[in-house]
Amino acid sequence: MTRFLARRLLYDVPVLLGVSVIVFGTVKIIPGDPVALLAGVNSTPAQKAALRHSLGLDSNVAVQFWTWLSHALHGDLGTSIAQQRPAAGLVMSAFGNTMILAAYAMVLALLLGILLGGVAALRPRSVAGRICSAISSVSVSAPQYSVALLFIIFISLDTGAFPVSGMHGTTGGGFGDLLWHGFLPALTSALVPAGMIGRVFRASLLDALGMDFVEALRARGLSPRRVLTHAVHNTLPSLLTMAGLQVGYLLGGVVFVETIFSWPGLGQLLFSSISTRDLPVTQAGVLVSAAAFVLVNIVVDSAHALIDSRVRNT
Amino acid sequence: MSTITTTDLSVETPAAPRSRRRNRTRRQIPAGMYVYGTLALLLVVLGVIGPWIAGNVTTENLGQRLLGMGSGGHLLGTDGQGRDVLARLVAGARPSMISALLPVIISTAVGSLLGIAAGMAPSWLHSLVMRILDVFYAFPAVLLAIAIAAALGPGTSTTVISLSVVLVPPIARVAETETMRLHGADFMEAAQASGAGRASIAARQVLPNVMPTLLVYATSLVGLALVFAGGMSFLGLGVAPPHPEWGQMINEQRQYMYTSPMTALIPAIVIFGASLVFNQLGDALRDLLDIRRTGR
Amino acid sequence: MSSHLKVTDLHTTFGSGERAVNAVRGVDLEIEPGGTYVLLGESGSGKSVTARSILRLYQSGTTITGSVRLGDEELTALPERRMRQLRGLRIGMVPQDPTGALDPLRSIGSQLMEVLRVHQIAPDRASARKRAVELLDRVGIADPQRVIKARPHMLSGGMRQRAVIAIAIACNPDVLIADEPTTALDVTVQAAVIELFRELQQQSEMSLLMVTHDVGVAEELGGNVGVMYAGRLLETGPIREVLSAPKHPYTQGLLASLPMPGVARGHLQVIPGRPPLTGETSTGCAFADRCALAQESCRTAPPPLVEVGTGRQAACPVVNGTPVGRTATSEELSA
Repeated sequence: MTRFLARRLLYDVPVLLGVSVIVFGTVKIIPGDPVALLAGVNSTPAQKAALRHSLGLDSNVAVQFWTWLSHALHGDLGTSIAQQRPAAGLVMSAFGNTMILAAYAMVLALLLGILLGGVAALRPRSVAGRICSAISSVSVSAPQYSVALLFIIFISLDTGAFPVSGMHGTTGGGFGDLLWHGFLPALTSALVPAGMIGRVFRASLLDALGMDFVEALRARGLSPRRVLTHAVHNTLPSLLTMAGLQVGYLLGGVVFVETIFSWPGLGQLLFSSISTRDLPVTQAGVLVSAAAFVLVNIVVDSAHALIDSRVRNT
Repeated sequence: MSTITTTDLSVETPAAPRSRRRNRTRRQIPAGMYVYGTLALLLVVLGVIGPWIAGNVTTENLGQRLLGMGSGGHLLGTDGQGRDVLARLVAGARPSMISALLPVIISTAVGSLLGIAAGMAPSWLHSLVMRILDVFYAFPAVLLAIAIAAALGPGTSTTVISLSVVLVPPIARVAETETMRLHGADFMEAAQASGAGRASIAARQVLPNVMPTLLVYATSLVGLALVFAGGMSFLGLGVAPPHPEWGQMINEQRQYMYTSPMTALIPAIVIFGASLVFNQLGDALRDLLDIRRTGR
Repeated sequence: MSSHLKVTDLHTTFGSGERAVNAVRGVDLEIEPGGTYVLLGESGSGKSVTARSILRLYQSGTTITGSVRLGDEELTALPERRMRQLRGLRIGMVPQDPTGALDPLRSIGSQLMEVLRVHQIAPDRASARKRAVELLDRVGIADPQRVIKARPHMLSGGMRQRAVIAIAIACNPDVLIADEPTTALDVTVQAAVIELFRELQQQSEMSLLMVTHDVGVAEELGGNVGVMYAGRLLETGPIREVLSAPKHPYTQGLLASLPMPGVARGHLQVIPGRPPLTGETSTGCAFADRCALAQESCRTAPPPLVEVGTGRQAACPVVNGTPVGRTATSEELSA
């Protein structure tokens, strides 16, 4: 198992490198000359050259990348153009709030997905089963921005059951307050993952229940509940894989959900940085998200290998 | 002696051996295909002729702001700038559909090529290509699209480019998996034994076999692309105002959420609905493929 | 001596009405303690269905009639809860594919100990573990400590089959049902597994019901045999006798078609036609269409099993000299 872990971590170093190349590269493909923009129309060639040199833009691309990367590894991700503060600080504090939202959403997605998939698998011809199948199908198509609006308008505004925006109440609050504020944003983010998890759980549960060993388990005299436990256990690998994929979806989707619900996370930060063309912050935000996703995938794969030892040799 | 007839459904066991005399009343084409296929076609048609039949959708009419649905001849009301919502929806279909369909077409072409080539390539090249794809997979898709689009500046072409980039890795992966699956097949060995080169095998043997799965998968991506494109224009990375695009309309009218919620809701529901149509179509296609595969 | 297992007139039907599949159509068999019974037949003959029907492993829509007595208990009359207690405890089953019989994600040890704990053979972890090691040792596994921690995919096919056997006998059942236990194994491993069955029987008074299509396996085991075809028994008797001097035309054809080393080469004998699929019905003897001895009367009603020698029966009126519908007289029997 430790060999698997080591191999996995080693594998992801070049991936992270590639990620940083791409993030760096997206800035380089911007048309136009940033120096001309920054220096102004009336600057002399000499002033432009000096500016270019101070920004490090006169060395070749590889050197620029290396400089940028080494800065990044030391925690320096540039300075926000809009706020004149270190981008890293802005991004990291916002990221914390996003992780809270993402975790909340993941829990909801798993609960909902397992419920939907389980009922659809075990009672396929009942009313409940059909409803669960339908919900799974529909929720997979639900765009976060649409659902967010629907929730705000029909739940928050009409019934007042949940707050429209923000992460905490104005009078400050504890954990309960956080859960209350976070419920609608988390649920919005969780719908598509719940649908996907539901579909995977249903398929692998039916798969597991149809396997030969189920009959063998019954021949040993195990009760239906025990047999079901064995079957569910066998669905965990594919469930984990799908959950891992959905984390990526969640990290991307927060851009919309946080913006609409005014949740002070990385998504909202990215939204504003895009609107204000604040490139260092956009870069930093995307880099941190991608790195987090890679780490989450390592954890998910490791858990997968822990449960299913057949995977450990790949 | 006694008779047991059990109807205990608590845990369904593997089925008892079936009678060979099976009812041949199974339909060949799932009903969903007709329904969703027609709807999808309608959407595409709307995308083509939309701007022509919509008329003027950009002129502000501040005297008629935020009219409710059905008032003053406006079937879906007017938005915060006094423009007819229905007309803007119809006109906005084109950039939305282009931003969804074109990337899927492009990425299917590029991704299939990449995936099949990787599957047929020597092992080191195969690994290298897959590793590079893994790098793209490490990005949450939306963020990759945003990063590219933020760099290139707003516009439909930007959306198309960034979505194409985002969709290539999954398609390439499916193409590669399917190609690898064919490796052990007899006809592959036969082709190789007869001296055919890799390229010709790829074109003549692999491609036709892999195509159905790929096309079905690509169709299922259209719904996703629609939602993505809507998201991009929501973020202001799509068509510039005052020209309409569905996602952009949502963001623009969001500020009127408290007083006139339908204005923002309507385009939101439209994107939801359109994505649902294409996703269900993709599901029906997949069922059809399965039927063709196993029902022979 | 009271028998361990006695099956009388077992019928198993899947589904109902027009689409009903009659897989087993009246099987009788009896095994005494320590005895062996081999159900021999080709695919579709109904032998596996018989085994599973005894254990009542089928659910939802399967009808089983007849009597299955395990010692004092009538299995067909038991509520499911009681039947569940008996499965694994008093009847064990070794399924055909050892890989398919094990949960791929759990260790052998945990699966063994689960059976021991569910049937309350071992009250706690420590004693369960100890007994698990003993069991693995008993089925001839050389390194039980390693195998206990191993997951199924880490073991060879032969080891997996031994582990499955260990689970099946964990609670010392009265009867062990083995469904084609050697089919998925190499020939060399097959012999070892058969030997294992014999040893286990000698150690306890466990009865063995073996389902197989392999005549060689039947021969190795000894005991009684029932030749099944289309859901019915066509011939029964001690294995050695039936195999050396088969009475029923089907059995004769079956044995004649086996390639035998040492026999002069000639045309491979085949039985014309094909065996019926599961549940394919016919009036009269199911073998009639392929039988050289078939007469008109064979096709009107299925011939019953009739004595053709001591302890031997055959369901063929031509052979046992009985016109269909009449039981043989003693003069005809001694002919």
